[in-house]
Amino acid sequence: MWMLSFVPDDFLAYIINAILIAGAIGTFFTFFILHKVVRWLPALAPYHLLLQIISVVLLVGGVYFKGGYSVEMSWRNKVNELNQKLDAAEALSKEETIKVEKQIVYRTKIVKEQAQQIVEYVDREIVKYNNVCVLPQEVIDAHNAAALNKPINNTKK
Amino acid sequence: MLTGCLTTVPVVREFPEPPASALEPCKSLSTVNEASLSGLMKTVTVNYATYYECAIKQNAWIEWYKIQEQIQNGAIND
Repeated sequence: MWMLSFVPDDFLAYIINAILIAGAIGTFFTFFILHKVVRWLPALAPYHLLLQIISVVLLVGGVYFKGGYSVEMSWRNKVNELNQKLDAAEALSKEETIKVEKQIVYRTKIVKEQAQQIVEYVDREIVKYNNVCVLPQEVIDAHNAAALNKPINNTKK
Repeated sequence: MLTGCLTTVPVVREFPEPPASALEPCKSLSTVNEASLSGLMKTVTVNYATYYECAIKQNAWIEWYKIQEQIQNGAIND
Protein backbone atom coordinates (compact mmCIF):
# COMPACT_ATOMS: atom_id res chain seq x y z
CA MET A 1 0.00 0.00 0.00
CA TRP A 2 3.05 2.28 -0.19
CA MET A 3 1.84 2.99 -3.72
CA LEU A 4 -1.17 4.77 -2.23
CA SER A 5 1.08 7.55 -0.95
CA PHE A 6 1.53 8.82 -4.51
CA VAL A 7 -2.21 9.46 -5.07
CA PRO A 8 -4.13 12.39 -3.49
CA ASP A 9 -6.02 11.13 -0.44
CA ASP A 10 -9.45 12.52 -1.30
CA PHE A 11 -9.39 11.19 -4.84
CA LEU A 12 -8.24 7.82 -3.62
CA ALA A 13 -11.01 7.64 -1.02
CA TYR A 14 -13.56 8.56 -3.69
CA ILE A 15 -12.37 5.83 -6.05
CA ILE A 16 -12.21 3.16 -3.33
CA ASN A 17 -15.63 4.02 -1.96
CA ALA A 18 -17.07 4.02 -5.47
CA ILE A 19 -15.63 0.55 -6.14
CA LEU A 20 -16.90 -0.76 -2.80
CA ILE A 21 -20.40 0.66 -3.23
CA ALA A 22 -20.60 -0.52 -6.84
CA GLY A 23 -19.48 -3.97 -5.76
CA ALA A 24 -21.95 -4.11 -2.86
CA ILE A 25 -24.89 -2.90 -4.92
CA GLY A 26 -23.90 -5.04 -7.87
CA THR A 27 -23.56 -8.18 -5.73
CA PHE A 28 -26.92 -7.64 -4.08
CA PHE A 29 -28.55 -6.85 -7.37
CA THR A 30 -27.07 -9.75 -9.36
CA PHE A 31 -27.63 -12.36 -6.65
CA PHE A 32 -31.05 -11.38 -5.39
CA ILE A 33 -32.79 -9.17 -7.91
CA LEU A 34 -31.45 -9.95 -11.38
CA HIS A 35 -33.14 -13.34 -11.72
CA LYS A 36 -36.50 -11.56 -11.39
CA VAL A 37 -35.50 -8.78 -13.81
CA VAL A 38 -34.34 -11.32 -16.41
CA ARG A 39 -38.01 -12.36 -16.87
CA TRP A 40 -38.74 -8.84 -18.10
CA LEU A 41 -35.38 -8.30 -19.87
CA PRO A 42 -34.30 -11.65 -21.38
CA ALA A 43 -31.38 -9.91 -23.13
CA LEU A 44 -29.59 -9.84 -19.79
CA ALA A 45 -29.80 -13.60 -19.25
CA PRO A 46 -26.49 -14.50 -20.98
CA TYR A 47 -24.68 -11.92 -18.87
CA HIS A 48 -26.06 -13.01 -15.52
CA LEU A 49 -23.01 -15.00 -14.44
CA LEU A 50 -20.58 -12.42 -15.81
CA LEU A 51 -22.32 -9.63 -13.93
CA GLN A 52 -22.24 -11.67 -10.75
CA ILE A 53 -18.51 -12.33 -11.13
CA ILE A 54 -17.76 -8.68 -11.84
CA SER A 55 -19.83 -7.59 -8.86
CA VAL A 56 -18.10 -9.99 -6.51
CA VAL A 57 -14.68 -8.94 -7.83
CA LEU A 58 -15.57 -5.28 -7.29
CA LEU A 59 -16.87 -6.04 -3.80
CA VAL A 60 -13.78 -8.04 -2.78
CA GLY A 61 -11.46 -5.52 -4.37
CA GLY A 62 -13.31 -2.65 -2.72
CA VAL A 63 -13.06 -4.30 0.70
CA TYR A 64 -9.36 -5.01 0.19
CA PHE A 65 -8.50 -1.49 -0.89
CA LYS A 66 -10.72 0.01 1.80
CA GLY A 67 -8.78 -1.97 4.39
CA GLY A 68 -5.47 -0.94 2.91
CA TYR A 69 -6.54 2.69 2.75
CA SER A 70 -7.71 2.64 6.37
CA VAL A 71 -4.41 1.14 7.49
CA GLU A 72 -2.44 3.68 5.47
CA MET A 73 -4.41 6.60 6.91
CA SER A 74 -4.08 5.19 10.39
CA TRP A 75 -0.29 4.96 10.05
CA ARG A 76 -0.08 8.43 8.55
CA ASN A 77 -2.02 9.83 11.51
CA LYS A 78 0.34 8.09 13.92
CA VAL A 79 3.33 9.45 12.02
CA ASN A 80 1.88 12.97 12.10
CA GLU A 81 1.19 12.73 15.83
CA LEU A 82 4.69 11.48 16.53
CA ASN A 83 6.21 14.19 14.33
CA GLN A 84 4.26 16.84 16.25
CA LYS A 85 5.44 15.45 19.58
CA LEU A 86 9.02 15.31 18.36
CA ASP A 87 8.81 18.88 17.02
CA ALA A 88 7.67 20.06 20.44
CA ALA A 89 10.42 18.00 22.08
CA GLU A 90 13.02 19.51 19.74
CA ALA A 91 11.92 23.04 20.63
CA LEU A 92 12.07 22.19 24.35
CA SER A 93 15.45 20.55 23.84
CA LYS A 94 16.88 23.74 22.28
CA GLU A 95 15.50 25.85 25.12
CA GLU A 96 17.11 23.60 27.73
CA THR A 97 20.42 23.60 25.84
CA ILE A 98 20.45 27.41 25.90
CA LYS A 99 19.78 27.35 29.67
CA VAL A 100 22.65 24.93 30.25
CA GLU A 101 24.96 27.07 28.09
CA LYS A 102 24.10 30.16 30.12
CA GLN A 103 24.77 28.29 33.36
CA ILE A 104 28.20 27.17 32.10
CA VAL A 105 29.12 30.72 31.12
CA TYR A 106 27.87 32.15 34.42
CA ARG A 107 29.55 29.56 36.67
CA THR A 108 32.83 29.79 34.74
CA LYS A 109 32.76 33.57 35.13
CA ILE A 110 32.30 33.20 38.90
CA VAL A 111 35.23 30.76 39.12
CA LYS A 112 37.51 33.11 37.17
CA GLU A 113 36.51 36.10 39.29
CA GLN A 114 37.16 34.23 42.52
CA ALA A 115 40.51 32.96 41.22
CA GLN A 116 41.46 36.50 40.26
CA GLN A 117 40.60 37.71 43.79
CA ILE A 118 42.86 35.04 45.28
CA VAL A 119 45.71 35.88 42.89
CA GLU A 120 45.41 39.53 43.91
CA TYR A 121 45.51 38.45 47.56
CA VAL A 122 48.66 36.43 46.88
CA ASP A 123 50.30 39.38 45.14
CA ARG A 124 49.36 41.57 48.09
CA GLU A 125 49.95 39.36 51.13
CA ILE A 126 51.96 36.23 50.20
CA VAL A 127 54.59 38.13 48.25
CA LYS A 128 55.84 39.57 51.58
CA TYR A 129 57.07 36.10 52.56
CA ASN A 130 59.02 35.30 49.40
CA ASN A 131 62.32 36.13 51.08
CA VAL A 132 61.35 34.35 54.32
CA CYS A 133 60.26 31.14 52.66
CA VAL A 134 62.67 30.16 49.92
CA LEU A 135 61.42 27.25 47.87
CA PRO A 136 63.88 24.58 46.88
CA GLN A 137 63.91 23.58 43.25
CA GLU A 138 62.66 20.11 44.26
CA VAL A 139 59.36 21.64 45.37
CA ILE A 140 58.97 23.32 41.97
CA ASP A 141 59.86 20.10 40.17
CA ALA A 142 57.39 18.05 42.22
CA HIS A 143 54.60 20.54 41.59
CA ASN A 144 55.25 20.69 37.86
CA ALA A 145 55.41 16.90 37.57
CA ALA A 146 52.04 16.66 39.30
CA ALA A 147 50.54 19.40 37.12
CA LEU A 148 51.71 17.67 33.94
CA ASN A 149 51.02 14.18 35.29
CA LYS A 150 54.48 13.05 34.20
CA PRO A 151 57.39 11.33 35.96
CA ILE A 152 59.32 13.84 37.95
CA ASN A 153 62.59 13.49 35.98
CA ASN A 154 60.94 14.70 32.74
CA THR A 155 59.98 18.08 34.20
CA LYS A 156 63.36 19.13 35.56
CA LYS A 157 64.73 22.22 33.86
CA MET B 1 -3.14 -9.27 1.72
CA LEU B 2 -0.10 -8.46 3.79
CA THR B 3 0.74 -5.50 1.55
CA GLY B 4 -2.12 -3.74 3.34
CA CYS B 5 0.14 -3.57 6.39
CA LEU B 6 3.15 -2.05 4.63
CA THR B 7 3.84 1.68 4.79
CA THR B 8 6.76 4.03 4.98
CA VAL B 9 7.09 5.92 8.25
CA PRO B 10 9.36 8.89 7.64
CA VAL B 11 10.08 9.91 11.25
CA VAL B 12 13.70 11.00 11.37
CA ARG B 13 15.29 13.00 14.11
CA GLU B 14 18.87 14.09 14.58
CA PHE B 15 20.83 14.01 17.81
CA PRO B 16 20.37 17.41 19.57
CA GLU B 17 23.24 19.94 19.49
CA PRO B 18 24.99 20.15 22.86
CA PRO B 19 25.97 23.51 24.42
CA ALA B 20 28.97 25.03 22.59
CA SER B 21 30.88 25.69 25.82
CA ALA B 22 30.59 22.06 26.84
CA LEU B 23 32.35 21.02 23.64
CA GLU B 24 35.51 22.96 24.54
CA PRO B 25 38.19 20.63 25.93
CA CYS B 26 39.49 21.22 29.45
CA LYS B 27 42.62 23.38 29.67
CA SER B 28 45.93 21.86 30.71
CA LEU B 29 47.32 22.67 34.17
CA SER B 30 50.02 25.34 34.46
CA THR B 31 53.54 24.79 35.69
CA VAL B 32 55.47 27.04 38.09
CA ASN B 33 57.77 29.46 36.28
CA GLU B 34 58.71 31.69 39.21
CA ALA B 35 60.58 29.86 42.02
CA SER B 36 58.97 31.80 44.82
CA LEU B 37 56.22 31.20 47.37
CA SER B 38 53.89 33.70 45.71
CA GLY B 39 54.64 32.25 42.28
CA LEU B 40 53.81 28.78 43.52
CA MET B 41 50.59 29.94 45.17
CA LYS B 42 49.46 31.78 42.07
CA THR B 43 50.04 28.73 39.89
CA VAL B 44 48.20 26.53 42.37
CA THR B 45 45.29 28.98 42.40
CA VAL B 46 45.14 29.08 38.63
CA ASN B 47 45.26 25.28 38.46
CA TYR B 48 42.46 24.92 41.00
CA ALA B 49 40.37 27.34 38.94
CA THR B 50 41.15 25.26 35.83
CA TYR B 51 39.88 22.18 37.65
CA TYR B 52 36.65 23.89 38.66
CA GLU B 53 36.06 25.14 35.13
CA CYS B 54 36.52 21.59 33.87
CA ALA B 55 34.18 20.27 36.57
CA ILE B 56 31.53 22.81 35.52
CA LYS B 57 31.68 21.53 31.94
CA GLN B 58 31.56 17.90 33.05
CA ASN B 59 28.58 18.49 35.32
CA ALA B 60 26.86 20.50 32.58
CA TRP B 61 27.28 17.54 30.20
CA ILE B 62 25.69 15.20 32.72
CA GLU B 63 22.84 17.62 33.39
CA TRP B 64 22.28 18.25 29.67
CA TYR B 65 22.22 14.53 28.87
CA LYS B 66 19.71 13.77 31.63
CA ILE B 67 17.44 16.58 30.49
CA GLN B 68 17.59 15.46 26.85
CA GLU B 69 16.89 11.88 27.83
CA GLN B 70 13.85 12.97 29.81
CA ILE B 71 12.53 15.11 26.95
CA GLN B 72 13.10 12.37 24.38
CA ASN B 73 11.48 9.64 26.47
CA GLY B 74 8.58 11.93 27.28
CA ALA B 75 7.93 12.59 23.59
CA ILE B 76 8.09 8.93 22.56
CA ASN B 77 6.23 7.37 25.47
CA ASP B 78 3.35 9.88 25.80
